[in-house]
This record gives sequence, structure tokens and C-alpha cells, in this order.
Amino acid sequence: MFLSSTSVRITAAFVAIAILCLFAADLAITTINPWQDLAALFLGMVTPDFFSLEHIGTALLRTLAFAFTGVALGSISGFLLALVFRFRAVRMFCAFIRAIHELFWALIFLQFFGFHPLTGVLAIAIPYAGIFAKVYSEILDETDPTPERVLSRKVDVLSSFLYARIPDALPHLITYTSYRLECGLRSSAVLGFVGLPTLGYYLESSFSQGYYSEVGALLLLFYVLIATLRLWARPRLIPLYVIAAPFFLGDGLPIVWGNVVRFFTQDIVPSPLRDGEGLPGLWHWLSDLAVNQAMPGIWNTLVLTQIALVLTGLVTLMAFPLISRHFGGPTRRGLGHVVLVIARSTPEYVIAYILLQLWGPSMLPAIVALALHNGGIIGHLIGRRSNEITLRPDAPKGIERYGYELLPRLYSPFLAFLFYRWEIIMRETAILGILGIYTLGFFVDSAIQNIQFDKAMVLILVTAFLNIGVDAISRRVRARLRLKVSMTCEGH
Amino acid sequence: MLKQIRRALLLSLALVAPVMADTFVFTAIPDNDETRLRERFQSVADYLSEQLDVDVRYVPVKSYAAAVSAFRNNQVQLAWFGGLSGVQARQLVPGSEAIAQGKEDTQFITYFIAHKSTGLEHSDTLPKAIKGMTFTFGSKGSTSGRLMPEYYIRQTFGEAPEDVFSRVGFSGNHSRTIRLVESGTYQVGAVNYAVWNSELDAGKIDTDAVKVIWETPSYQDYQWTIRGDVNERFGDGFKDKVKQALVNMDDPELLKKFPRSAFIPANNSDYDSIRETAKQIGIID
Amino acid sequence: MDAVHLRNLTAAYGGQQVLGPISLDIRPGEHIALVGGSGAGKSTLLNLLYEQVRDRAALVPQEQGLVQSLPVFHNVYMGQLAAHSRWYNLLNLVWPRRRELQAIEPLLEKLGIREKLRTPVEALSGGQKQRTAIARALFQNAEILLADEPVSALDGPLAHVVMGLMTESYATSVVALHDIDLALRYCDRIIGIQNGQIALDDMTRRLTPSDILPLY
Repeated sequence: MFLSSTSVRITAAFVAIAILCLFAADLAITTINPWQDLAALFLGMVTPDFFSLEHIGTALLRTLAFAFTGVALGSISGFLLALVFRFRAVRMFCAFIRAIHELFWALIFLQFFGFHPLTGVLAIAIPYAGIFAKVYSEILDETDPTPERVLSRKVDVLSSFLYARIPDALPHLITYTSYRLECGLRSSAVLGFVGLPTLGYYLESSFSQGYYSEVGALLLLFYVLIATLRLWARPRLIPLYVIAAPFFLGDGLPIVWGNVVRFFTQDIVPSPLRDGEGLPGLWHWLSDLAVNQAMPGIWNTLVLTQIALVLTGLVTLMAFPLISRHFGGPTRRGLGHVVLVIARSTPEYVIAYILLQLWGPSMLPAIVALALHNGGIIGHLIGRRSNEITLRPDAPKGIERYGYELLPRLYSPFLAFLFYRWEIIMRETAILGILGIYTLGFFVDSAIQNIQFDKAMVLILVTAFLNIGVDAISRRVRARLRLKVSMTCEGH
Repeated sequence: MLKQIRRALLLSLALVAPVMADTFVFTAIPDNDETRLRERFQSVADYLSEQLDVDVRYVPVKSYAAAVSAFRNNQVQLAWFGGLSGVQARQLVPGSEAIAQGKEDTQFITYFIAHKSTGLEHSDTLPKAIKGMTFTFGSKGSTSGRLMPEYYIRQTFGEAPEDVFSRVGFSGNHSRTIRLVESGTYQVGAVNYAVWNSELDAGKIDTDAVKVIWETPSYQDYQWTIRGDVNERFGDGFKDKVKQALVNMDDPELLKKFPRSAFIPANNSDYDSIRETAKQIGIID
Repeated sequence: MDAVHLRNLTAAYGGQQVLGPISLDIRPGEHIALVGGSGAGKSTLLNLLYEQVRDRAALVPQEQGLVQSLPVFHNVYMGQLAAHSRWYNLLNLVWPRRRELQAIEPLLEKLGIREKLRTPVEALSGGQKQRTAIARALFQNAEILLADEPVSALDGPLAHVVMGLMTESYATSVVALHDIDLALRYCDRIIGIQNGQIALDDMTRRLTPSDILPLY
């Protein structure tokens, strides 16, 4: 039997949970004419206006600069952390910093660094360092240990590491880092939505004013940038980019260091403690925060995540044949690639932002955005994997081929990738609250808008621990299903 | 490589610092479309630069809170705040002062607007019929788009907005509130009357689709707030110079961009009632 | 060198004892062949031995222990990492030192892979990889050579060249071999392993192939 009964049972359980969540979810389309604006947007996409935006070049340059600087810094720190990853404290630290979304980091740094480039750079570098540390250490662990074993014990640690470990791990480290660079470009673009001078900044301005041709131009240029990444981000040129990038971050506003001290010693101290109300006051403050904000936020985040997870799976299963050589010829596959590149290059946040404007506020835009983006990513991976399968010459065609030949062979990696992305989907779900959906991000944003950083910090911590929890469950599910995806960890 | 990055960062800091030292920086709450804000405040920057004889720079921000934070963090020294954001900012920066406001800001009003499909008409009290409809505020930190409308909603219905309406949203700014109600995304919305009137004059509102259904009583709103420590940095009497420059602003083109008929002196105490309202609603502690 | 005395060596796999207890003395100047059927425990014994004498031994494991993406030169140089400072090693990694090249080239010449000096190991054939691993052990110049099936991928004449080179370079060696003729020709003591125990231990001159065959 191809599908072990466990994987069928787990699938059924997740689908059932998602269906239950549908009843608890708010899925209305509230706009009176949702398709009219969508048509206007598509018209804008096909009539992009590259010239009216004087800042379009700056937007792309800043997006690249923040991505390169942030990813480089994250990769170096992540590598150093990977070397000491065997310590439990380091592993927990890394899990914690990567459980907090880039946008949350940006919102935190904005409070004391303000619009200094460091805000954007650290917002990318810190969570990325946590992810790099984990994946780098996995890569290093999986390199062949025998070369190290044959070395004399007198060989110093550095030489042994550089000769026996690094060379064979290097190609994997590079592949993964360049994949993360693509993610970094998306993160960098999204940081614009909170005011940093990257793509999202201009996208938000143009979109909120209904300049769809500008939106079209910005998005198309971004797709081209990502689709051609392999052409211009040559390994030999990377050091050059990394050295140049910090000079193109823009000048922003100067840092006032006193603000940093104030933030940590006053702003984030719970207000009852600041006002000397003592522990009873703190207890009241905390329970109020838990009941009115954290609980509803967690509930909505969970509901939305579970629906989005299952829908992502559905989108994946429909999307992978688009680029699979077992269905259709090169032209159709080419088109399929274009569709999937668009789906995976557009950050969830951007899709959700656009759909929210078009359909009105409810969970629906967020769910569709998460499913499209993540389904695009996993669909791409599964599609590629399907191309490695050789079918017998007389294999059935069409839907029988899909159901009998491919799906059974691809179902395990499919589940593995899907569960890998579970935590990521939840991270994003929380952040989409900033757009006005009542997930945890909504309450974090509200607290920040009210200049209540103490509340914001507690809610960010809650979000982080929720992510860590889901990651732990996902790991158990994957272990139970004995799912393992190859080293590149492209699921991340 | 780390070192290179750090050096580059320090360098970029060093490059900026001397320029910034004598640049007077200001911001404004993003209550309107970005293009319009840029046009307006770039003109203000040019005007102030001429009047004050220092470099003046306008820095746009993406949220009301970001404007308050930049002011608090001394990254900007002057800001065009709303009533609420001004109260928040002055509470966080001891010594800061409200120095000027638009003539209209002493008598500011919020319009409740509704989509034609609701069948609501203009009335003298907040129509009870809006209960159960969908509703959008402007920004979470806005006075005319959040604080005052929420205050009157609570006063009328005795409940929080989430309980009065079937759906409550925050559009982000006043222009978007108009767009969202005009398109029917929300049935009812609360909008700054000045923004409404200027868009109406510009012919940007489809009056068949959306109309004003209620006007709130008047309250104090926008003002220029300046940090208390500007004299130490820009020389004695700088604060008064800024105040004079703002109050003397009489270029009709410039005033029209706000839109205000003139600017008049303001005091912190003008906004006491706004603070009380914000406390009642729980927006400030 | 001093003699090696091993007492009551045992190895367990998955809770089950697969080797030993074995006691063994290796005297200086001895060339020992470990023979026995596959799965008898030769590799296990060799690895145990390596753990005991790691500081004075060079090892050619069955899986060779090569760094696939490094050139032959660096893989061979790794035998001498301990003899140099880390900075010298680092420099040599990025920019091969002439002195090391000159030392390694003749070694590769003898093994017939000189032209592969700068070829990454992953691009080599099985036999060439095996000779690279042997070159590393020879370059290490330790007191004892421990080799696990070092010539399994080499054809007749080449196997003889390599065996000759190993016995010539190392006065003391323990080599696991499945080829009885090679064992009889190049080693002066033969230890037969069967079911995790020593079934035969004698000087070569007193043995003929028919004494060894029953082990298989």
C-alpha cells in the first residue's frame, strides 16, 4: 500500500479540523463589487507604467540593499551559531528569534532606532540568523564524518573543520543561502509596509491611491528581479554586492542611543510595575491582556492557520501538474512556471493586502493569500520532484496517471513540505493581523499604535511561543510519519 | 565581512550626522494620500527653511504611531499632529508644546458617511439604524477618524463599537475611508470633514454612492507640536521663530494644501478635553 | 615503536555482541593481514584497533574518508595537518604551498595518479579514489598503518604495486584483505577472523592457502 494508513488518518484529521474551523471563521466578501477593482488591478498589471514613479529605481535598489545586508549579516551570525548549535540554550535561543516575524522585529526596532537603516537590516538579520543556524547545523551534521575520523587527534580544530567538514558542506550551504536570499528580497520588500524605504512602501502608496498601473510596474519589476536572480546573483559577484549593499541603504534618520536605553528600561516594563502598582496590579493587567487580546488573537490565528494549511495543500496538489513533465508539453509547462513564479514571489502580505482592499475585511483574503503563496512554493518543489520520476511507457494518462502513478509516489514528500511550512504559515497568519484581520498581529499593531509597548511585547512573546509550539507539534507529526525532506530544506 | 558592514554602517551614520545636526526635521501624521502629503509638506519645508534660515527636511511616515515615535525619539523636532497623537506625543516628551493650529482646528468635526445602499439620510443625531451595519474608522491613532467617532458611538449606544457593528475596520487614512464606503466595502464610516470637503471640491467623490449622514459636535484637532529642547540645539528663540513662521503663513496656495484658512497660536491646555476623552475610551493609560 | 597490547576487546551492535572478547599483540616490524569472510568482524576489529592507537596510526577506512569536493592534493595533505600550524593549513587550503606540492607529487607518481593532483576527488574513478586514500595514509607517515581492504578496487598489477608500497613505507601494519594470495605474499603474520573471534593466528611462512580457505 502506497499511503500508509497513518498518513491518510493524519490527512483526514487535519481536513476535519479545517472544516470545523470554517464554521468559526469569518469568510464574507463584503465589497459590493469585488471583481470591478480586481479587473482594474489586472488592467494595471497589463498596462504597467514604469515612468510615472520617479522613485521606482530607488525602491528596487533599497529593496536589494536591505536584503543583501540583512541576509549577509544573518548568514554570518547564523553560521557562528551553527557551530555551537549542540548546546540546548543556543537551540532555544535560535528557535525564539526565528519565531518572531521580520515585521515584528521591524516594529520593535522602529521604536528606538526609528527610521535608521539599522532597523531594516536587523529586522531581517535576526530571524534569518535563527533559521540559518538551524539549517546550517543540519547541513554540517549531515556531511560525511569519516574524513574527520581519519585525521590525527593532534590536528587543531580549525584545520580539521576547514579541511574535513566545510568543503563537502559548502555547495549545500551556498544553495541554501541563495534560496534564503530570494526570501530576503521578499522580506525586504514587505518591510516597506511599516515605513522602511523598500518596495512595499511605494506599493502601499500607489495601491491605496488606486494607481494600479504603478502597482503593476512595481510588481512586474519585482518578479523580473526574482526570476532572474540566478543570472545576476552569480557566486563570484555576491561578495561585491554584499560590500556595496550597506552604502545603498539610504540615510534615514540618526540613531539617538538614549532611546534604546529608555525602550528597554521603561517602555517595555509593564505599566503597573512602572506606576508602582505592584504584583496585584500586574496580575490584573496581565489577565486583562490575556482575556481581551491574547486569547481572541490566538484563537483567530489558530483558526486561520488550520484553514490556510489545508487549502495550501489543495492548491499544491492542483498546482504541481502545471510544471510536471508528465502532463502537457513544454509550452504549457513554461506557462505553469510563470504562474508558480508569480505565486511564490509575491509575499503573502502583499497578496493579502491587495485582496483585502478588493474583497473587504474578513479572513478570506488572508486564507487565499496564504494558500496561493505557500501552494506556489510547495507546488514548485513537488512538481520538480515529479519530474525525477520515470513512468513505464504504457502508464495511464490524464487523471489516472495523476491518481495512480504520481500522487502515491509524491504524497510523502508533499506532506513533509506541508508540515514544514505549518510554522511559517502560522508566523505569517499572525503578522497579517497588521492588515486588520483579528489575529495576534492586529493586537500587537493596536498596542503599538496606542504607544503601549509593554502590551505589544507581551503579545509578541505570546506569538513567538505559539510558533514554537506549532513547530514542536509539526516535528512530532513528521517523525510519526517518518517524513524527511532532502537537505536543502527548501520547505523553509 | 562583519567588520566591513559595521564600518559601512558607521560610515553612513557619519555621513548623515553632520548634515542632520543643523537640519530641522519634521513629520506629519499620514492622514491622507501620500502624494498629497508630500506636496503639502515639501512646500512647508521650503517655506520654513526660508523663514528660519536653517535646512528643513520633511520625513514621511507610514503610521500615526511612527510619527509619535519619531518625535519622541528626537528624530524629528516638529510635527503636525492630530488632537490625539499630539496629546500622546506631549505626554511622552516632557517640555514639548503645541504652538500653532489651523483656524478650523478649534472647531473640528467628524462626518459619519454611509453608502447609498443603506438608505440612510442626513440627520441631526447619530442614526440608531447604523447598529448592526459594517463600519470603518480611519487610522487607529486618529482623532477625527477614531477617537471622536468612537466617543460618540459609545455615547449613543452605550456599547463598544465591536458590539454595535457587525464588523469594524480601520482603513488607515481618511481618503481610504471615503473610497471604502464609496465602494460599499463598509456601509458606514467616520471621516475627517476637512479631507471630505477638499476631495469633494476636487470632484473625487461619487456623491451618488456615498453621503454624509451625521456631523459630530466640534472639538479641537490638528496642531503643530515642537520639542522643548529645540532652543538648545538651534539657538535661543528658535521655538518662537518657528511659531511665528507658522502663524504668519499666509500664502493661499500653501494654506489651501492643508486645507486651512490660517494658522493661529495654540496651547497644550487646548487639548485637555481630548486627553480626557482618550482616557475614557482607554486609548491612553 | 612500542608493541601494542590489546586485551579483551569487544564490540556490540544493537545490544548484541558482534566481536570478541579478543586479545591481540602487535609487535613492531610486523605486517599483519586480517582475513576472513565478509561480516566476520574484520572492519570492526580494525576500527577498534584504531581507537586504541589513534595517536600513532594512519587509517585507510573502507569508506576511504575522502573529502569529495577537495582536490587530490588537499586530501593527501590532510595526512599532515597535525604537523603544521592552523594558519599554514589555512593558507595551504586557499593557495597550495609549493613545498607540499613537491612532497606529494612523487607519492602520487608512484601510485600512478600524478596527473590527478588538482582534480576534485568526486571526479575520480573508484580505483583512483582508493589510491588517494592510501596516498594520504602514506603521507601521514605514522608509526602503524591500519588499512581496510585498501586494494579492493585495484586490478592485479596495480594491487601489487600498492601493497608493495605500503609494506615498504610502513614497518608495522595491519591490513584487512580478502585476497588470500596478497595476504600470503605481503604479510608476515595472518590473523583469521570468524564469527567475531580469532580463528587463526600464525606466521605466514607456516601457512598455505588451504589453511586459510576454511575461514570463508
